[in-house]
Parts: sequence; structure tokens; C-alpha cells
Amino acid sequence: MSDPEPINPEVVRRDFPIFAGASHRQRLHYLDNAATTHKPDKVINAIAACYAQCYAPIHRGLYPMAEQATSNYEHARRVLQHFIGAASPDELVFTSSATEAINMVASGWLRQRLQSGDVVWVSRMEHHSNYLPWQRVCHEKQAQLRFIELTEDGQMDLDRIPELFAEPTKFIAITHVSNVLGVQNPVASLCATARECGIPVLVDAAQSVSHLELDVSAMCCDFLAFSAHKMFGPTGIGLLYGRQDRLAGMEPLQLGGGMVDSVVDGTSAASSWAKVPSRFEAGSPDMPGAVGFAAAADYLSSLGHERVGRHIAALTRLAAERLMGINGISLLPHAELPASGIVSFTHRYIHPHDMAQVAGEAGVAIRAGHHCAQPLLRHLGLAATARASFSVYNDESDIDALIDAIISAQRIFCE
Amino acid sequence: MTAQDLYKETLLEHYRHPRNRCDRPIQEADAVERGANPRCGDEIEIGIFLQDEKIRQVKFRGRGCAICIASASMLTEAVAGLSVASTRRLCDQMHAWFGDIEAAAEPLLPDSLQALAAVREHRARQKCVLLSWEALAHAIDTAASA
Repeated sequence: MSDPEPINPEVVRRDFPIFAGASHRQRLHYLDNAATTHKPDKVINAIAACYAQCYAPIHRGLYPMAEQATSNYEHARRVLQHFIGAASPDELVFTSSATEAINMVASGWLRQRLQSGDVVWVSRMEHHSNYLPWQRVCHEKQAQLRFIELTEDGQMDLDRIPELFAEPTKFIAITHVSNVLGVQNPVASLCATARECGIPVLVDAAQSVSHLELDVSAMCCDFLAFSAHKMFGPTGIGLLYGRQDRLAGMEPLQLGGGMVDSVVDGTSAASSWAKVPSRFEAGSPDMPGAVGFAAAADYLSSLGHERVGRHIAALTRLAAERLMGINGISLLPHAELPASGIVSFTHRYIHPHDMAQVAGEAGVAIRAGHHCAQPLLRHLGLAATARASFSVYNDESDIDALIDAIISAQRIFCE
Repeated sequence: MTAQDLYKETLLEHYRHPRNRCDRPIQEADAVERGANPRCGDEIEIGIFLQDEKIRQVKFRGRGCAICIASASMLTEAVAGLSVASTRRLCDQMHAWFGDIEAAAEPLLPDSLQALAAVREHRARQKCVLLSWEALAHAIDTAASA
């Protein structure tokens, strides 16, 4: 098989209106893609069409436009089902975010199963959204939340914890790709072993969905969460995948319209819930969000995951090499040059805030802070880092601009 | 606005050579209070030394970005010798000037704090300026209630 044609970022940028008109103003060097990505015309237009051409309540109206709107919403679910390789659309719950999806599993699924003395594992590199929900439920149930610690090169040190897959482990929640280190975790092998041992696993795919092909069947995960806005889709909508038997055993956290089967009078607890996944989508569903989400999945698929992955890996390696060539810069620990679109770094004399400020004035958008991963930064002995993260519309000129900005910052702070 | 507009020479000079900075815990102060910025992990500890209802000296300790360290350093010089009451008022004024730029009038900052004025344009950096001032207000309140 021949190699696929490489991504041409200049052509890709034409799909994104935010980059249009760059000749009239400073060119935007957007390197904060791990936080959120920009939106292509296809997504913006799909959302606009929902409001302009076919807008009505979902799962409630009997008139043609309502039926069409409902059908568009459910079609979006099927597009995303195929996007992640799920067995059925009923395994997909639309949520407001990846964060909400993880909270649903922690509070709606694990809480009723967790007992005093049980253990829940997360990795040291989790985002707060895949840490705090487990911390709270463990605290409430007097269970223990334990870290899978990291090796010196930033990988999960699975060899040091033979007890991971043994009693009293009740659950494992793990990120697919670290939003700070950029390392990719071996989720498929971890999920396979966990399944043999009967331990459910949630995979946080928020940081991988934009450049790695997800296949929940091959991955063998029980739950998987991601949001639309990090993969060119709209802000405010995310997805929870749950294996059918897992979702069947999950309690809805939000009660209200659209999620009931029958509602009884008075204080009886006999009201019953609609079938999965409607049971977990109380309130008026975000139909335009779901349609935009599906349009983003289609857009990503049209670019091709392999091409996207290669493009981002090449840029990440190049950025890491260029950064390592600057005196004073240290990259965060990693086994090899990170290939997942994320390079985090510190400068011996320049605070990440000041670095990001100077870069920002030069039109280079990078992130500075703890990246919602305080347990990891504490482990690394750092308060904050700078982070550059890459996407399909970035090219070498963005890296040049970043390096120039760092040199400007050195001129300000190091002379 | 350019980076040079924000990082004025006075500000950078304070960052490079902070006044009244301690490397060790602040000893024998009338009150010591700490401020932290959860967004970036920056921390500033402010210790006040009082004499006859006046601020005799302020010392600070901590880690932070250039704006955070410069603000703390300028603070120690700006309030030394002021009455406790007018220092506390200055803390509130700083909060108004930098905390809510839409509500507050153009700042009439004391000359010694003028180099911070450009930070008002940068919403994300306001907390960097205010960290030390909030800790100072807290320290004054603690000393008053002691």
C-alpha cells in the first residue's frame, strides 16, 4: 500500500474561517489545540443550517420538521457510533462535555458499586476531570484512590504494581493521551487485561480523539469519554460511550423531561426511566451541537486519521527538536520525542506566564499553567509549564514563530 | 500593545532585583499572610512590620512570573512609611483598579506603581498583580484583629 498523501496545511487552513483574512492582520499561530481546536466551515455551516433550516424539539414533536430534527439528531449519534466503532448507537450518550461524561460514570455507575476498602486506580498524569470525580466518590465510600505512578521518562509504570488487576481493585480510569506530557498510554492492552480480571475501565479520550483513530470494540474499554470541541466540533457537547450492559446498570443523574417512561404521583419512587440512552439525556437535547459534532467527525474522517496523525507527529517532533536547541529550555519527561501533538516545556529564567504573554503579543497562542493536572505537576516539582500543541492547520512557520517569540522573551527577561 | 509596553523597564528591574525579598520564612513580622494563584501555582507570602500605626517594612517571599514578583517588590517600597489605614485603602484601590477594569475609573496610581498600569489591559494577568496586594490586605486585617 502506498503512503497516503501528506496533509497540506495551507489547503486545510482554507477550511477554517478563523485563518481567513490573515493578510489584513497579524497571522494567527494557534498552538493551543490541546485546549480547544478551531472550527471548519463544514461544522459552522452544519450548525447554522440546524437553526436556519430545520429547527424543532427533539423526541417530542409530531409535525414533519420535528420528525426531521429528531432524525438529524439520531443520525448524528449513528455517525459518531461508526466514528468510534461502537456496536450500537444505544451505547452513545450525548453529554455537555467529556467532564460531564466522566462524572456520570463516577456518580451514576461506580458510586452504587463501590464499598469501603475498594480501590480505584487513576494514572499520575490525569486531567482534573478524570481525577476529581473518582476522588469524591472514593472519599464518600471510604474507598482508596491510588495513582499508577510514572517512570522517569513519563510512562505509566505498570510493572511496579502487580496489584493493579487484583482484588480489591474495582475500577480503573485512564487517559489515552496526557494533556501535559503528550504520551500515549497503552490503553488497549490495559483494557484487555482488566477485562480478563473483570475490572471495568474508563478511557478519557479527550486528548486523543483529534488525531488517533478510536475503536472501542478493539480497545475493549467499558466506558470512553471525549468532547467535540477538541476535534473541530462545537463547544458544549461531549460524548459518553458505555458498553450496553454497563449503561443499563447506570443511574441517571439528571431527572426531567425526555428521560422518563412513566411518572407516578406523590413521593413514590416508582417513576420509571426511558430506555438507554434517552434515560441519560434529560432536558431538551442539543440537536445543533450533535449535528455539528457529527460534522466534525465527518471532517476528521475525510482528512484521514493516518494522515492527520502523521502530520501532527512530524510537527511535534520538529518542535521538540527546535525547542531542545534553545539554551535554557527543558522539555518535560518523555520516552521519545512526543508524537501526539503536545510539547510541554519550561525555561530556566522565564516564567511560563511571561513566555505565553510575549508569544501572544507576537501572534503565537500557547498555553501556560498547570493544565488542570496538579498531581502531575507536583510530581514533576513544577508549578506551571508552557505548552505548544499542534493540529492539522499548523505548519513549520508556526514553529518558526514560536521559536522567534521565545528568543524575544529571552531578550526581555534574560539580558 | 507590544510586550515592551507591558514589561516596562521599571517592572523588569524590580523582577530582576526584587526589593525586600526573603528566601527563608519571614521571621518576627506582626503578621504574615499568603496568596496563591490556582491558575498557575504562583505563591506570594507577605510579612508586615508595624510601628506606631505605620508600616515600617514589608517583606515578601515566593515564586511567580515577572509581573507577580515586580508587583510584590514595588508594593514593599510603595507602602513603607505609610499609615496602616492608608495602606489598607491602597490595597482596596489596587483591587478596584485591577480587579474590575470596566467599573473602575482610570487609575491614579502612585508614581512608584505606574509601571504596573499597562497590566490593566490584560485581564488574564490581573491576578498576577493582585496576589501580593491581597496578601497584604489580609496581613493588615490579621494584625488588626490580633
